[in-house]
Amino acid sequence: MKKISRYILVFIAILATSVALPKLYWLAFEKPISRPFIMYSSLEHDFMIQRHENKQFHRTDTKGNTYTRDEFEQKLPLFYVRQLLISGIMPDTINGRAMDTHEIGKARSSYRFKSSYMIAPTPGLYPLFESESGRANLEMPEDFFRITDRMEFVRASENIISEKKSQMFTTVLNNRGFDFPAAMIAGIPTTRKSCDEGYIVVDNSNQMFHIKMVEAEPYVAKVEVPDGLTFKFIACVDFSDKKYYSYLISSDNEVYILTQDEYELIKLPIEGFIPEKEELRIYGNLFNYTVISRGTSSLKVIALDKEYNKVDEYTESWTKLSDTKAGKAASFIFPVELNLSNLNSSFIDFYFERTKGFNWLILNLLLMIAHFFIIRKTGLKPTKNLIDFAVIAVTGIFGFLAVNIFQNKFFD
Amino acid sequence: MFKSVVYKEWIKTKWFLIILTFIGLLAVGNIFLKVQHNIAFNDANKYWYLILFQNHHYFKSLKFVPLFIGLLIALVQYVPEIMDKRIKLTFHLPINENKILMMMLGYGFITLLASYALMFFAFVGLSNQVLPTEIVQATISSITPWFLAGFAAYFLVALVVLEAIWKYRIAYFVAASAFMLFYFESSIPGGYNLINLKLILLTIAISISLSFSAYRFRKGEM
Repeated sequence: MKKISRYILVFIAILATSVALPKLYWLAFEKPISRPFIMYSSLEHDFMIQRHENKQFHRTDTKGNTYTRDEFEQKLPLFYVRQLLISGIMPDTINGRAMDTHEIGKARSSYRFKSSYMIAPTPGLYPLFESESGRANLEMPEDFFRITDRMEFVRASENIISEKKSQMFTTVLNNRGFDFPAAMIAGIPTTRKSCDEGYIVVDNSNQMFHIKMVEAEPYVAKVEVPDGLTFKFIACVDFSDKKYYSYLISSDNEVYILTQDEYELIKLPIEGFIPEKEELRIYGNLFNYTVISRGTSSLKVIALDKEYNKVDEYTESWTKLSDTKAGKAASFIFPVELNLSNLNSSFIDFYFERTKGFNWLILNLLLMIAHFFIIRKTGLKPTKNLIDFAVIAVTGIFGFLAVNIFQNKFFD
Repeated sequence: MFKSVVYKEWIKTKWFLIILTFIGLLAVGNIFLKVQHNIAFNDANKYWYLILFQNHHYFKSLKFVPLFIGLLIALVQYVPEIMDKRIKLTFHLPINENKILMMMLGYGFITLLASYALMFFAFVGLSNQVLPTEIVQATISSITPWFLAGFAAYFLVALVVLEAIWKYRIAYFVAASAFMLFYFESSIPGGYNLINLKLILLTIAISISLSFSAYRFRKGEM
């Protein structure tokens, strides 16, 4: 019991130090890593790259031509449209097409996906807006819905179920072949959007439905999904051009869009995207989409035309945190780093990251020798402290601190 | 013997326990006065929306209350024991010192459990009155680590207080403080879903840590 209690305390101390020490280390030594901003120029048919290095901006294209800020902005007229309009240098035509600010604005879109949006707890309750209220602004409904063994509306003012409305929606869903409960519910649960398009819902059999409320009546449309195609994340969007309802990430990491009204699933030619680890940004304009998938040390940019065909591609990588000076030094100190939070997840958990290589073995060995002398000094027998040595061998500095905070002194 | 130990602990802690539980219940009551006020001024649907989608933590004022109760109960229970080394008298009783300490710890744990249970069920009961299951469940996931922190603080303070040598006492305090941060990471409601079970197991494991102190104590480190 006494020995167990000591090792429990040692274990707790190892956990605590393996979170605290690397955190303090990075707080002291982490330097910002410059990541380039890249956008496809519909004018130059090339990628325009802006870097921030040594507190200065460097603007180039992929051929190595360098640009001033004004020149750079002029190469991306559809991205910097406001600036060019203010400066009075917005071109009248691009690629033979007359520029109309209304059209430019309508075609503009921007979307950002982060892994932590996907790996996150779901609210479980959602507001179903009236899609055709006849009002200029959307209004927050009185009730919120859940889709468990039926579609249920809970009236917030009394915290009770609106039985009639629940039955009405459940009946329509049943008639459309909905298999309860819902596996995924995606929508834009805010009144701050141009209009309401309800929710894209995946049922228990991976069937996809579009559910909204039109003049207080249910609107349910089934989306035809090819056999075997399943999705792990759906993000609804509210873009002015109203071309599609949502971006969808399939189980095999392909990115799709779901077109408006026709409910057609179109696969975007984005390869190698890992949604669990990478961020995705999609910028649209009158002529192209720029799709940027970015990991911790590299990014890939794909330019698509308006028919979603790939027209160009650019990749770039930069020094990983672990390959910087501070990262290399850390590899000699910490065998592992423990974090409770993770950029790629909204959940708190124990996230272990093993240090690349075995540089830390040197320090572990030195600490074992140091521990040997500490034990000798206190008059204990090293042979009776073999577990402590094993703990230091594996956990290094964390174990060394832990076994010396909670000493083995009275167990001989 | 068990009754005598319980009675001794009860004499030391009863007023603190009653007053702290009362403060805890007041904190819960205060939360729901605010909830009721917000619903009256914002409409229930808008208030639900704030909680579901705007990360509004209506329960946040509860965050350090269980920790505070756990810390104080441990101090009230164990500080008198080390003053004038009274606990040595206890260890001279014809009963295993571990058993005595476990009785003391068990008493503390059960009284804390009772105090926390009152707060927890009052909180969940009131939440259920005005909020839907989904919000209540996510909230339970968020407040669970705070209550676990109360237990962990109780066990770890006992460990620190019973340690006789100051340099180790400080080292235990630093290690324990670093560990206690595990229970207070900021997160969205439901964000603690994956780790709560692991924290429960760790908190249970810590509960037997006091026997380490007892052993050091008996071996004469004092």
